[in-house]
Order: sequence, then C-alpha cells, then structure tokens
Amino acid sequence: MSESVIDTVLVDDHRMFRAGVKASLDAGVRVVGEADDVDSAVAVVHELRPTVVLLDVHLPGGDGGGGAEVLRRCADVAADVRFLALSVSDAAEDVVAVIRAGARGYVTKAISGEDLSNAVRRVASGDAVFSPRLAGFVLDAFGASADVATGDDELDRLSAREREVMRLIARGYSYREVAGELFISIKTVETHVSAVLRKLQLSSRHELTRWAAARRLL
Amino acid sequence: MVAVETTERPVRLPLRRPRRGRVLGGVAAGLAAHLGLPVVAVRLVLVLLVPLGGAGFFLYVFWWVTIPAGDPVEAAASTRPAASARLARRLQVPERSLPWPEIAGGILLLGAAAVLLASRRGFDVGGTWLLPVLILLGGTALAWSQLDAVQREPRAGRSRVPVSVLRLLGGTALAGVGVFLLVGRDVPVEDLVNSALAALAVLVGAALVLAPWWLRLVRALSDERLARARESERADIAAHLHDSVLQTLALIRSRSGDADEVARLARAQERELRSWLYDDRVDPGTSVAAELREVVAEVEDNLGVPVEVVVVGDRVPDEATAALLRATREALVNAVRHGRPPVSLYLEAGPTAIEVFVKDRGEGFDLDAVPEDRFGVRESIIGRMRRQGGTATVRRRAGGTEVELRLPVAAQAEEREA
Repeated sequence: MSESVIDTVLVDDHRMFRAGVKASLDAGVRVVGEADDVDSAVAVVHELRPTVVLLDVHLPGGDGGGGAEVLRRCADVAADVRFLALSVSDAAEDVVAVIRAGARGYVTKAISGEDLSNAVRRVASGDAVFSPRLAGFVLDAFGASADVATGDDELDRLSAREREVMRLIARGYSYREVAGELFISIKTVETHVSAVLRKLQLSSRHELTRWAAARRLL
Repeated sequence: MVAVETTERPVRLPLRRPRRGRVLGGVAAGLAAHLGLPVVAVRLVLVLLVPLGGAGFFLYVFWWVTIPAGDPVEAAASTRPAASARLARRLQVPERSLPWPEIAGGILLLGAAAVLLASRRGFDVGGTWLLPVLILLGGTALAWSQLDAVQREPRAGRSRVPVSVLRLLGGTALAGVGVFLLVGRDVPVEDLVNSALAALAVLVGAALVLAPWWLRLVRALSDERLARARESERADIAAHLHDSVLQTLALIRSRSGDADEVARLARAQERELRSWLYDDRVDPGTSVAAELREVVAEVEDNLGVPVEVVVVGDRVPDEATAALLRATREALVNAVRHGRPPVSLYLEAGPTAIEVFVKDRGEGFDLDAVPEDRFGVRESIIGRMRRQGGTATVRRRAGGTEVELRLPVAAQAEEREA
C-alpha cells in the first residue's frame, strides 16, 4: 500500500458505535483518539491534530450545540484538520448546520466500513463527501429545477452541471459512476462537489434558512 | 388481615364534588362517594341537620366552598404517577339535567325583585332588614357560583373569563350594596358615602399588602401546571417507546437465532421510530413522498433488503401518481430480486414532471431477453407508465441496472380534463 495511513479522531457519545466504527475501518485509516462529548472533542482535536475527525452531529456537553459547536471551537485548527459528519438523524437542519459550520461532508451511520474508509480518504485529500441524502437536501434547498430565478448571487444557485452531479449522487451513483455517466473525469466531479459544498457553506440564500426552518421538528 | 393484592382503585376515593349526579353543588354526592355511603342517606342527614341551628345549611356551604370540584375516580387515578396512568380517558356519557343552581338563583332574584316592587308600592315587607339581606345573599351566591364554575371548567377558563369576571364584579357590588343598606339603615347619606369610601380605602390597602403573596401563589400554580404538562408529555413518550421499541427488542431477543428476521425487525422498528421522531405527521392523501415511503417500507419488510430513499419536492397524490407508485413498487421488487443491494430510490417532483429512479448494483437484466409472458417489467412498469402518459426506461450499466420512470405534469393535467 503506497498511501500513508490517515490519522483520525472519532467523536461519538456511544461507546458501542465507536467500537463498531473502529473495527470496520480498513488498514489505511487509524483511529488515534476518541471523544464522547463536545468539550473532550475540542481538547482531543487540539492536542492530537488529526488529519480527519469523524464527528457525530448530536453530542452532549458544551453549550448544547452538538457537532456544530465542536466545529466552531476548532476553527483555529481548521486549516490542518478536516471534519466528516456522521449522523443517524434525518433532520435536514441538523445536517445543514454542521455543514455550514465547516464539515467537509456528511454520511449516514448505516454506511459500510469500506465506504466510510473511502470517505475518510476523500476528505483527507481535501475533497467533499456527499451521501445521496445530502445531495437530496442540497437539491431541495437550492431548488431542483434548472430554471430558478436568475440574477441571484452566484453563490445562491447551482450551475446546470452541479445540479446534474447532485442528481446523480442522489440517485445512488458513486463519483466514478457520475464521471462515467457525464463523460468527465473523477477529478472534475470532485471539483463540482466541492463547489456545491462551498455554496452550501457560504450561501446567504434566504431560502436555505427558511427551508431548514420549515423542516424543524414539531 | 392485610390485603396483599394491589387494586386499581384506592380504598377510599378522595373528597371531590362530582359534576355527575349533583343536585345543588355536588357536596352530598362527593361525601357519599368518599365515605362509600348511599347518596340519599347523606342528603337525608344534611337535611335533618338543618333545624339544629342551621347546622346542615352551614356545613353544606362550608363544604361547597372548601371541597374542590371534580370526578373522584379521576382524581384518584391522577394521584398515581402519570407514567403508569392510562393515556386514554374513560368514556364519559354526557349527562343532561336541568341547571338547578341557575334556576334557584333566578327564582331568588325574581323574589328579590318582587319584594323590591312591593316595598316601592308601599307595602311593608318584613321590616327594613329583609331587602338588604336578600341582596347580600344574592350577591354572595352570584360570586360563589362563579368560583364553582371556574373550578368545574379549568380547561375552558380562557373563554369563560369575561362572564366569570362579570359575575364576580356583579356579585361583589350586590353584596356591598346589601351590606351598606343593612348597616346604614338609619344613617344619613353623606355618612354612608364617607364610610363607603373608608371601607374601599381599607380594601385597597389590604389588596396592596396581599398582592405579592397572591402573585406568588399564581406563579406557583402555573409552575405546577407546566410541570404536570411536561410529565404527561414524558408519559406519552414512555408509552410510545413501550408499545414499539420495547416490544420489538423483546421479539428480537426471542428470535436471536434468525438473522434475517432480526434484521427485518430492527429495520422496521428503526423506520417507525424515525418517522415518529423526525417527520411531521402528514395527513393521508396529501403527500406523494409519504405514500412512497409506505411503498418502500412494504417492500423492505417483505423482501428484507434495505432501500436508500431520497425525495426532493412533493405533490398531492392523484390517479397518475398512484400508477407511478405502483410502477415504482414493481421496479423496486425487481431491483431487490434480481439486483444486488444497496438499492437506491430517488424521487424528484419538479414543476414539469415527477421522476423516479430505481438503481441496484446487480448484473442487471436485458429487457429484450425478458420473455413476453413475463408481465413484471413489460406490463406492470412500462405499460402502466404509458397509460398515464409517462415513460419508463431500463438501463443496464456495469455497476448495475437503473429504471427511470417519468411522469410529465402537463400530460397529467390533460388527462384529468379528458
């Protein structure tokens, strides 16, 4: 194996889940630290400076901000450390909150060990990881149809190509399959996905807020 | 001897004035329920006590004021922790009876009016004290009847406030007038007014002194109400978890040998819990997305293969979408049977069309290789979509097979007009 081993920190409040993730990761990913609440997560990340942090969206402790709070309090090391959000939650605003706080992607906890290892490698190399569900959230938030109002800020809408990529990911295509389908390179797919991630993080689009608010529980 | 078995009902019901079966204030009925005696006996004793210096009357009034209104059986049930109480309330048959207290009040007021009229006409009715006493009694009864009404209807309190405030104010004013007429029978008008002002000042002073205490009481009451609401919410959640999650866990433990069954149970439970936690309850017949999830749940349960569902947009279901969902179901079953998991399902309800994509990771199947007599794909997917003005395509890839169903919105509208 020519790739170097990637150091990760695993943040989740369920010990059983941490053990399961550790066992399922392949040899290319090494868990160097664990944390089970907001404060210990912030401390461990600052101490170990891992390449990737696997971060649960719902965490106890701190000011009750969960994963998004960890991201905010680790903003000073954000240049070295990349975050991948893990969640069982289907609630859109939870996911969008951690992404907007700076996570490089979002995967569901039902993901297989192989896929998770690949996602960690992808995040480590600076790319974004979109699960089908996150792609669905993005399409829902930005409007799935191509003819949304023009004249908005460039950050506030998806290009036709980005939308096409998102739709394929939502349909269950891997990056490789998306590349094959659109006759582009995997690198280009990754560029599109990173661009969408940036828009999701930076867009001031008011619909995004309204949309997330409309999905609030109860 | 000590009774070992615990019964649902405590030995003695708490003292409450029930609404059902009351004649006046429900005092006798409440006492009877509390003591376990027949109501008639309690009433008889109370009536027999009246000649003894009015003891029966005063006891009745005292209890009417001090005993809270309410159903004794329900009160007994609510003293148990909410978590162990039934969520559904007992069925209650509404009781129709004449509003006796109101009728009595009306008769009293009519009597007072008659006496007033008679005295105006020059008849001397029982001396100058009778009229003030009647007014005083009427006012007090009015004010107390308001107290009773508020106790009776704690939930509907908001809408009743104006009426009850009116009753209280009217009653107080009447009682005040009665007291002044009674006390100041032979006193000149100026003195009467002066003493009235003095009394008012004393009342205001007392109110000012008592205000903090009263405020604290109100706050404590509202705090307690909040805590109660929270507890009942927790009981609701506990009951739900008990009915769903605990049952499933018990089932899983009893069938731990059967891996497929365990996986199926866990998935079904996860889906149910998820929808309970995260989804807003949608009314039936308003959401294609919700109907799609039902279809997926059925396929997952029957075939035991997980399906990853992503839905973008939503719309109100109609005949065409029903056909689309049936076709989707067939495509899912095909993907699960002939493909390999994971199976992905994507539905997008856009302004021009609804599109459904079903993708699996299997070898796929060649549509032309499927014999004509196999209805699965040809009839139930492609035929169904065509009849609704839509299209269905099956594409084979190296990574698996994808079925695409497309239902244009325009075609739908035309069809509805036709």
